[in-house]
Amino acid sequence: MISIYDFIETLTTDSGFWNPLIWGVAIVIAFLIVYIIRGFGNKGYKKETEQTKVFLSGNPEYKEEKMHVKASNLYWGFTESLKWVYKVLDKMHTGNVSDYVLWFVIIMGTLFIILGVI
Amino acid sequence: MEIHEIIRIVLTIIIGTIGLAAFGIFFGLLYKGLDRKISAHMQGRIGPPIRQPFRDIGKLFTKENIVPENAVPWIFHLAPLIGLVASISILLYLPIGGFPPLASGYGDLILILYLLIIPSLALVIGGFASGSPYATVGAQREMATMIAYEFPLAIIIVTIAWKLSATTVGGTLIQNSFAISTITSTPVWSVVGPIGFIGLILLLLALIIVTPAELSKIPFDSPEAETEIGGGLLVEYSGRNLAMFYLMDSVKTIVMASIIVALFFPYNLSNLVGLDAGSYPAYTIDIIFYLIKVLIVLVLSVTIIRVAVARLKIDQIVYTYWVPLTLMALIGLICIMWDGQFGLPRIVEMLGLV
Repeated sequence: MISIYDFIETLTTDSGFWNPLIWGVAIVIAFLIVYIIRGFGNKGYKKETEQTKVFLSGNPEYKEEKMHVKASNLYWGFTESLKWVYKVLDKMHTGNVSDYVLWFVIIMGTLFIILGVI
Repeated sequence: MEIHEIIRIVLTIIIGTIGLAAFGIFFGLLYKGLDRKISAHMQGRIGPPIRQPFRDIGKLFTKENIVPENAVPWIFHLAPLIGLVASISILLYLPIGGFPPLASGYGDLILILYLLIIPSLALVIGGFASGSPYATVGAQREMATMIAYEFPLAIIIVTIAWKLSATTVGGTLIQNSFAISTITSTPVWSVVGPIGFIGLILLLLALIIVTPAELSKIPFDSPEAETEIGGGLLVEYSGRNLAMFYLMDSVKTIVMASIIVALFFPYNLSNLVGLDAGSYPAYTIDIIFYLIKVLIVLVLSVTIIRVAVARLKIDQIVYTYWVPLTLMALIGLICIMWDGQFGLPRIVEMLGLV
């Protein structure tokens, strides 16, 4: 049976360690402090007035479906900056199985050369 | 472990969390004020008074806490709280003011790396929950920025821990090289040769450039980009919710500066001056020295950079981190790897000069 003392032991591996319970205690205390600080603030606002409309720099607001940023655009900055990498990868993906097998053979050959030499 | 020992640890953590939260919030706001003052002087302006961030918080607390009609209210309210709580919890694992970390035996550098992601994720979740196109664009950019800077940051942390794990002190290999107490007790500069020294300089530079992105400061503040998307992730936040994000940013400023200090400058003045460790004068001098180190690190990594450089576009941010900065960190890693094999004594020996 697992005793309570085993349960609260710090988890360790060969290179790292952490104790989730200690972090849990800290999180609960920090949450209480932050909640109390937040309580000093004004919580009121005028519901269902112009102030609850989203800010769009005065542009007209369309339906939610039209305004939504699509999932395909989520990583736009990422795909845009690494376009040159994706271009090369795109070219490699010809859809022809014999090309894929050729790549496999080339990479295996390169790996064997590297392993053999080094 | 005895029951009274557990109670002692829990009480230490409770009191420590309260103390560190107060410390992080107070000095975070103070350094924010100093940063604004110094950057204003660098631009030939007088700038706001140093206590301005405290006044900003006070003002935000009096403002209305507006929830947009398209928002998911409970997530919209919870995200700033989670961000601030996570930022405060990281302080427990860092050496603050020359003292060892409060929870030093209960979490290491890898844990800090993971906890650092939570405030940024809170911003992203809050942005998506706002129901505003500007906030969604900001959240999307924050996600791309996070993916971009995590790579060089991980290389820096792993390199330092690896170097320490391969170092012998008193004939034995250093254990627990990811523990902050190990890193601070064995400054990395003392275990490298000339090539490793160059490697460490490169890693330090990389970490200094990662810091403004972690803190969403110019040139890496495209997720907020006030002049373009009106504040991005924070566009719909107001009143006390915005104040919580403001405090989160302040505490995270102390966290990032403390990580740089712990990794690269873990030195204390008290032993150099010859004061007894554990005495009050030693504590005082160490705390003052720590605060000065944090200020210098923040001026170098935040103030100077944000005054000197204009905002980058999101694809430029990703490119900066994934190509030049990752390469810089990798070169730093290789320099440290080759340090023992190709250090100055070895090169001299290879050239036949000895």
